[in-house]
Amino acid sequence: MAKNRKTSWRSYFAWDYEKETEDLNLASEQGWQLVKAGLFHSRFEKNPNVRYRYQLDFREVKGMGRYIETFREQGWEYVNSTWNNWHYFRKPWDPALPEEAYEIFTDRESLEEMRGRLAKLLLIVGFGALAAVITESIECIQQPNLPNLLRILFFLLESCCLLRGAWILKYPRPRQHWRGSVAAFLVLLMLGFLGSQWLHAMRPGLHCSTQAESISAPAAEVQWTDFDIKYPDNYFLDLDVTSNQPIIFTIQNEAGESVYTQSGTSFREEDLLLHLPTGHYTIYLHCEAGYQIDCSLN
Amino acid sequence: MKRSEPMSESYYYILLCLARGANHGYGIMQMTEKLSGGDVTIGSGTMYGATSNMMKKGWIREILSDEPGQERRRLYQLTDEGRAALRAEIVRLQRMLANAGEV
Repeated sequence: MAKNRKTSWRSYFAWDYEKETEDLNLASEQGWQLVKAGLFHSRFEKNPNVRYRYQLDFREVKGMGRYIETFREQGWEYVNSTWNNWHYFRKPWDPALPEEAYEIFTDRESLEEMRGRLAKLLLIVGFGALAAVITESIECIQQPNLPNLLRILFFLLESCCLLRGAWILKYPRPRQHWRGSVAAFLVLLMLGFLGSQWLHAMRPGLHCSTQAESISAPAAEVQWTDFDIKYPDNYFLDLDVTSNQPIIFTIQNEAGESVYTQSGTSFREEDLLLHLPTGHYTIYLHCEAGYQIDCSLN
Repeated sequence: MKRSEPMSESYYYILLCLARGANHGYGIMQMTEKLSGGDVTIGSGTMYGATSNMMKKGWIREILSDEPGQERRRLYQLTDEGRAALRAEIVRLQRMLANAGEV
């Protein structure tokens, strides 16, 4: 038995809605009629006996009754709407009618209004992403690290893509397309987001405190705690040490070389940048009296 | 008085049609085509946008038909503000035409 229904996973960028209309008309000619349009997938039914012309409208509609009636009056059948305010209509194709008979925007003003609404939405989201690029960049200049850099890249990609879309809608030029694939774009964004989350989760995230009233054995070197660095990057040390007697605080790598050392009766570090290669690290304390230490490494 | 913006052709013809009495979208579309000798057409998207905007401006209002057989059909009706806006546009167009005569 031949398949009578199919689901298409093709999706289109907002600024490619004309291409989507073309594709729907072509599918209809081949006997596949759109029955339900969606943001990421659409359902088609096989019916080779009819041929439709499709049109898309983008707007926020308050009362659907008057809206659908306005289209029905001129022979347009309402297909459905997506949650993000795209509305799909179709009209049986009549070879006797000129192409203009299938236009739903018949003056420049209303077409520009529709494209303007789309452009406005893209501008809002695009500038939102640009604002994120700026805040992430400021953060990254102060504390350069990989997860941050990755977030900058994917917000930058997002804002460029959306702002370019808004530009195309405002200043349409015929045949100027590198048409992007929505799927590829979403996968890239996903990878960027998950990648930065993953890198973030791989960081040591060390938070510990310790204190001692007094030391029983004189001049003892204590192995306090240890952590792993999973990828080379800049890490940031916060440290707050107070003690009655001088204390030596040391971070050592596997080879026993100290990557950080500080001594005294009281010292602090705030977001001290340490460039650490991959490996296992151990923190040693050398002290002769009671102490209080708060330490975190991110 | 603040100078009003020139109207789009669609707005102008919709108001012009409604000046002859309340009508529905399809009636407006047909009358516009007839008046303009087929030159001006008003597609559904343009019609919905124009009528929505003009209702917001208070130029037209929505009423329900009470004609037998047409009950509860949506009609658009010109308001006084709408009539004034149409008159102002006609004056503007007449002035432009008059100016053309001086060439």
